[in-house]
Amino acid sequence: MRLALALSIAALLAVFLLYTSIAGGGTPSLRPSQLLANGHDGNRVTLSGKVVGHPTGNPGEGGLHFRMRDVNGTATVAVVYRGTVPDMFRTGRDISVDGRLRNGVFVGVKNTLVTKCPSKYSPKKSTS
Amino acid sequence: MAELGRAALVICLGLSVYAAAAGAYAAYRGRRRLSLSARNALIASFVAAVVAVLVLVAAFLRNDFGFTYVAEHSSRRLPALYTFSALWGGQEGSLLFWLLILTGFAAAAVLLNRRSAPDLVAWVVPVLGGVAIFFSFMLVAVSSPFDTQPAPVDGAGLNPSLQNLHMLIHPVLLYLGYVGLTIPFAFGMGSLLAKRGDERWIVATRRWTLAAWGFLGIGQLIGAHWAYVEVGWGGYYAWDPVENAAFMPWLVSTAFLHSVMVQEKKGMLRIWNMLLVAGGFVLALFGTFLTRSGILSSIHSFTESPLGGWFLGFIAIVIAFSLALIFLRLPLLRTKTKLDSLASREASFLYNNLLLVAFSLTILWGVLYPILSEAVTGQRNHVSGPYYNFFLHVFGLPLLLLMGIGPLLAWRKTSLRTLARTWAWPAAVSLVVGAILLALGAGSSIPGLIAYTFSAFVIVSIVVEFVRGTRARKAVAGESWPTAFSSLVARNRRRYGGYVIHAAIVLLAIGIAGSSAYDTTREAKLRPGQSMEIRGYTLTYRRLVQRESENAREVRALVDVRRGTSSEGTLSAGKNNYPVERQVSNEVAIRSNLVTGEDVYLIAQQVETDGTVFFKAEVLPLVNLIWLAGFIFIGGTLIALWPDARESRRLADRYGYAAARA
Repeated sequence: MRLALALSIAALLAVFLLYTSIAGGGTPSLRPSQLLANGHDGNRVTLSGKVVGHPTGNPGEGGLHFRMRDVNGTATVAVVYRGTVPDMFRTGRDISVDGRLRNGVFVGVKNTLVTKCPSKYSPKKSTS
Repeated sequence: MAELGRAALVICLGLSVYAAAAGAYAAYRGRRRLSLSARNALIASFVAAVVAVLVLVAAFLRNDFGFTYVAEHSSRRLPALYTFSALWGGQEGSLLFWLLILTGFAAAAVLLNRRSAPDLVAWVVPVLGGVAIFFSFMLVAVSSPFDTQPAPVDGAGLNPSLQNLHMLIHPVLLYLGYVGLTIPFAFGMGSLLAKRGDERWIVATRRWTLAAWGFLGIGQLIGAHWAYVEVGWGGYYAWDPVENAAFMPWLVSTAFLHSVMVQEKKGMLRIWNMLLVAGGFVLALFGTFLTRSGILSSIHSFTESPLGGWFLGFIAIVIAFSLALIFLRLPLLRTKTKLDSLASREASFLYNNLLLVAFSLTILWGVLYPILSEAVTGQRNHVSGPYYNFFLHVFGLPLLLLMGIGPLLAWRKTSLRTLARTWAWPAAVSLVVGAILLALGAGSSIPGLIAYTFSAFVIVSIVVEFVRGTRARKAVAGESWPTAFSSLVARNRRRYGGYVIHAAIVLLAIGIAGSSAYDTTREAKLRPGQSMEIRGYTLTYRRLVQRESENAREVRALVDVRRGTSSEGTLSAGKNNYPVERQVSNEVAIRSNLVTGEDVYLIAQQVETDGTVFFKAEVLPLVNLIWLAGFIFIGGTLIALWPDARESRRLADRYGYAAARA
């Protein structure tokens, strides 16, 4: 038993160290306000927020243009995105997308846009 | 009507409290009659839960929008079949569903074991009662499905992506799996409370664990298939937190299913098994919590959600209770048996356990990473696909190989000689397969090549096992080949059912390796008449078709598929526009080749008004093996689950009760 525990802990640690040394520590998750404030210029981050305004353009060619706002806030940032657009995407939905801030515009990485499922993540009930 | 539902839940809560309190007191003091009454209370709590569910079902069928829950999850246009999806589609309904399955399983488990293990059941009742208290309390006080309101004209409707057969079955199977893990947990803890250090609890719950594990596995596979055909991005698993939430308890119970065999055979790993059974249950609770609390989509909704805190509190109580109990009973659980050899069946189970547990811990780490990193550095970071895939390779590939090696090793120890003899065939075949695949260009993905080679090893070792067993049986009993084969399986259902499940996992591995490591993706903007090439296929876009259906405007691009000179039919990929729900859904087109298992997967990403379409096409080799694996998985699980009169007699002798009653 002790051997088993020691072995498992050792194996775990070894792999963790291996991984963190190879890949670094994950991608930062930011809200639009944080993105604008911290100036993560050029670094890949995941931006989470609400889609506002009317999405224009074309995700296949020139890119889909829209703005994202803090889920609970007012700061917004312009986003341009190319690639697959999930079914649930539309104005008012909470989404997250990977990308980099370039001259004040958040340029999405291809095929990283995901929507939060509204049925699963139902927000606080106003009735109760 | 809502009052009836509320009353049923209050009664359910009262009965659970009685089952827990009176049951614990009676078991502690050895009061037989009080113990029986606590057991009956637990069974009655199931009846109360059934009443509550029926009230809600009736409200859905009557379109009673005076029920807030019904108004929020249904509408007059919703087909009756999908009212069941709506029943467990929301938070309150899913909690009620949990309670229903929990009390139903609890009643069945204590009734089935009442004669064969009365002292154990006396302590199992209060544990199950305790879990039922939590869920019925949540439903009574925190998140009631029976809140009422002035009825609106129509309900808000159900999310279109939940209106399909997949989403009718998938949540049910997952819940059966999650809740099913409560039973082995309760028997494990009951065994400790009853001061029994033996294997009785494992024997009593083996089938419960297996069934729960099977439900969880199939539930996830159906979820993956749903993602593949409905969500439409060309994949089936994305390491989403909610997907991981079901995967972790499945991994831990896989470890548990293997390690209990070591305890049954050798009396070893008693503490470890208790830790695993508690871990599996905690992860099942954590899974429900993740799915329902929304902590991971946004950490700020966590503080707002009334459910999160309660769930975390209950999880903390379960962890503290289990650890304290295991610690108190350590002297009972210590074993004198030592591992004889590192090359033995029990050692291979140990390696499998370490890999499975390490894998689920790394997934847990990944799931919690955003929360942990924000707590430590103030910067919320998260990990994604590459992190999980890395660990899938590091832990999954050795596990795959072990699946072939383990069954070839003998209990206690294996000599080099037998090792060489039993390994000769699998090793030779897998090396040849590996070499051929390398020559065919499979070296483009090293993990894929390793997965294929290991899979060949496992498949051959399974075949060798079946042949060896059948041959021995034929020699001993003088039966014909088919008779010998079927009686071999019938007499060792658990073992050969297990091999069938192994074969299913291998198919799964091959399908995953093929479709993720050797897939091809092409994108193209086509006008009618233009073509694109992908991996030997020619896709020719013919024309656009539009039609109005009952609740959607459907646009389809018709695309001819040719391979070389032979036509492979027409694909129609497009979009549905739901004006009422203000939603657009991608309707992908899939062309499956059932001989090679390869899929051509076509998405019409963007449809322009002039008829131009942006297509994304994928060719996914062997992906259909994943779904085939599901059927074999069910078959293997059923073989292993099937009642076995011989086994019951053996157990009855061992634990000294009358088999006829068991």
